Amino acid sequence: MKQLQYIIITILAGCMLAACHKLDVAPLNVIRDKDVFNNENGITAYMATIYKALPIEDFYYRNEGSGFNRGWEQFYHPGAICGELVGPYGSTYDAAGGFGYWPYGDIRTVNYLLENLPKNAVNFAKEKVDAWMGEAYFCRAYFYFALVKRYGGVPIIKNVQNYPEQPIEELQVHRDKEVDVWKFIAADLDSAYLLMPEKSVRARANRYVAAALKSRAMLYAGTIAKYGSANYVAGDARDQGYVGIPASEADGFFKQAWDAAKLLEGHYDLYKKKMDNKEQNYVDLFLDKDSPENILVRDYSLTSNTAHSWDATMTCRYMTADGLSRAYPTLEFVERFAGALPIVNPDGTPRRFNNTAELMQGLEPRLLATVYFPGATLRGRQFDTQRGIYDQFSGTAASELGLNPPNAQYRHLSGTTDALYQGKRIIGFTGVSTNGDDMTRTGFYVRKYVDYNRDQSQCGLYMSTQSWIDMRYAEVLLNRAEAAMELGNTTDAVTVINQLRDRAGAPPVTGAITIDTVRNERCKELAFEKQYWWDLRRWRIADKVLDNTRFHALLPYYILNEDKYIFLRELEPFQRSYTFEKKYYYEPIPGGELGKNPNLYPNNPNY
Amino acid sequence: MQRIFKGLLIGLFLLSTYSCTKTDNQPGPNAGFQGRLLDVTNGKNNFSTETGGVQIKLEELSWSETPTPQYIPSKPDGTFEDTKLFSGHYRVTPVNGAFWPVDPVELDINGLTTHDFELTPYLKITNFSHRLSGDTLIMEFKLAAPVTEGLPTIIDAQPFVNITPYVGAGATISQYTNPPDQSKPNKIDINSNWDDSIAQKTYVMKVPDLKHGRTFYARVGVRVNDSYKQFNYSDVVEVQVP
Repeated sequence: MKQLQYIIITILAGCMLAACHKLDVAPLNVIRDKDVFNNENGITAYMATIYKALPIEDFYYRNEGSGFNRGWEQFYHPGAICGELVGPYGSTYDAAGGFGYWPYGDIRTVNYLLENLPKNAVNFAKEKVDAWMGEAYFCRAYFYFALVKRYGGVPIIKNVQNYPEQPIEELQVHRDKEVDVWKFIAADLDSAYLLMPEKSVRARANRYVAAALKSRAMLYAGTIAKYGSANYVAGDARDQGYVGIPASEADGFFKQAWDAAKLLEGHYDLYKKKMDNKEQNYVDLFLDKDSPENILVRDYSLTSNTAHSWDATMTCRYMTADGLSRAYPTLEFVERFAGALPIVNPDGTPRRFNNTAELMQGLEPRLLATVYFPGATLRGRQFDTQRGIYDQFSGTAASELGLNPPNAQYRHLSGTTDALYQGKRIIGFTGVSTNGDDMTRTGFYVRKYVDYNRDQSQCGLYMSTQSWIDMRYAEVLLNRAEAAMELGNTTDAVTVINQLRDRAGAPPVTGAITIDTVRNERCKELAFEKQYWWDLRRWRIADKVLDNTRFHALLPYYILNEDKYIFLRELEPFQRSYTFEKKYYYEPIPGGELGKNPNLYPNNPNY
Repeated sequence: MQRIFKGLLIGLFLLSTYSCTKTDNQPGPNAGFQGRLLDVTNGKNNFSTETGGVQIKLEELSWSETPTPQYIPSKPDGTFEDTKLFSGHYRVTPVNGAFWPVDPVELDINGLTTHDFELTPYLKITNFSHRLSGDTLIMEFKLAAPVTEGLPTIIDAQPFVNITPYVGAGATISQYTNPPDQSKPNKIDINSNWDDSIAQKTYVMKVPDLKHGRTFYARVGVRVNDSYKQFNYSDVVEVQVP
């Protein structure tokens, strides 16, 4: 009986107490619009999501595989598929097809802000709303730029799509023409420029960041219009305008690129804090957080678990605490600076050096600050790079490099740093080994962005915190010079190039310059900044530069009987050959997207 | 207790695997597609290609209007064959070769279907002769263009050398095309549109430093700047270096 009483009371209590709650409660674990759009913190958090997804090709970025995700293997560098570096990639094919980047989810996040912020504008001052709207336009342009440079024409989505409210037929959108996507990017960046203020907090956009991106994007569009209409792959997508831009549009885009670059004049400047030592100045430009040259950066920290591995994976373990290196600058890159290095005497014999460091004398400071040469020093340790030992060496360098090298019988190589020959170490602790590639293959190491102040014990994986400079003023100047050159304004191009060369410690250009002068300057200044691959593509010269091409190394040898060093210009030891197929001027539309939306056909030519 | 448990386990296992015994009643890939690539300029001889040169692009239209293409690589003798295809309606196009683009053909593939493609090469290597001078192979040839109207820019001519008869851009000993010393690649740069001077010129290609006592197979290829940049080849010659 008592039991029955309890049961009844429990049931009654359960019914009555439950009735005190409404069942229609908003879930607490979902952030609602009013949480975001009613206060500044909400907007800041929302912006952080967008900026985090922004396709900045930073230390982590690789052209294939994990793409923008955060692996430690930063030697999977896009420069290593096109001859700026030699690296872990077996050939250009390994990474030319991309990784199926398709950020329409992120674009929707931006569009959502663009639709909902104006509805809640009463909550904030007008300047703030404008600034945020401007940032949103900037970010949307950034996403579309990342898409169009890969795929050509993609669907332009300006409004938030909703599923299942909208029928699937309506959501299966068609591609837009490539030229229209570039114009859309220009329009978004113009809106961004007008809405945003002159200054912004670090790592976020202001009006000049938008202008800088515009100068980059419009330069791409102009070159694709000009050179892509001469060198192209035929196919349905091209016939329908989804890839390729009419040549008649080129000058308009170049003009926009030049105008946008000009806007930054006087607001940013080249880094010149230590001009009495131009090499050190150039090194510090990439490490000094307060550089007036930085336009848009991305920061990393240990506490936010975003620290990267550049230090641990760009130089070998002799200089670091963990990891390994696998990507090394090619001799072809080094020769962009002043042609062939002075390693051969006029009579054809290899020049004798007392030590390997002697070669660095008289080279351009910017080159020395970009690449670690044999004999350079990092964290108190010297790059003792040495390929091997010759007992003796006679004859010319050319004959030694031919099919029947006369001194090969006196040459000693090794796959291990322990190996000695007559008490001398055969190879250096920093290479060049006959075994593996975790020491240099070319004689060089990347120096740009390497934090020389960091203690060796702190050079482990995911421990580096130097900022990535996504856009810097030097690039804007180069965009301007290239656009000027394409528009026939040689004077402006020379002026701008000489500003850069002065900072770099290089002699000014004089006399007639060509477009190749400007392009070469760009390749030197922006080396290893993940631009070279896109530049080769947009100039439509990749299929000529990478045409069964093999790259060279600068290999130091010790000559035992002379107690001297020589350098030989050999093929890099892996002798890989790189070929760019013309279809890679565009990546294929990702297969998964084609499966979901047949309206994305035709795919890009030859896929 | 344990026995019951084991019995149950065995029963469950049998039950769960029983579902795998359903047979696939769809027909397997029991159809085939073969044919020849005919050179229309050359008395219906096969088109000169190499292993993995020309490909036959297959798009199966039975299920979808926008299928993912698959490819049959051609054999070096200018034929192709794939005997593991699904029966169905296909759109087929020869691609990735140095010939004027051809329109796709739609056909049904059932059993072993045969279809020949007629291709017009961009360029022909004519008057081809070779001789050996010491350890240097000298190949002489002229160029002819079956169709000159709209011919893309001619890029270059290159020698290809191998120790098997399968020789071409994809099967060559690289040191004979790209010498390891600092000299330039061993090729003849043309970089020009077609004109009479090219038609009249006799090109001489030398391949030095062939190893003594070996038999080599060699041919010359010439390419134009089209979408694929593939080579039009000469015949393969066999040379024995004394």
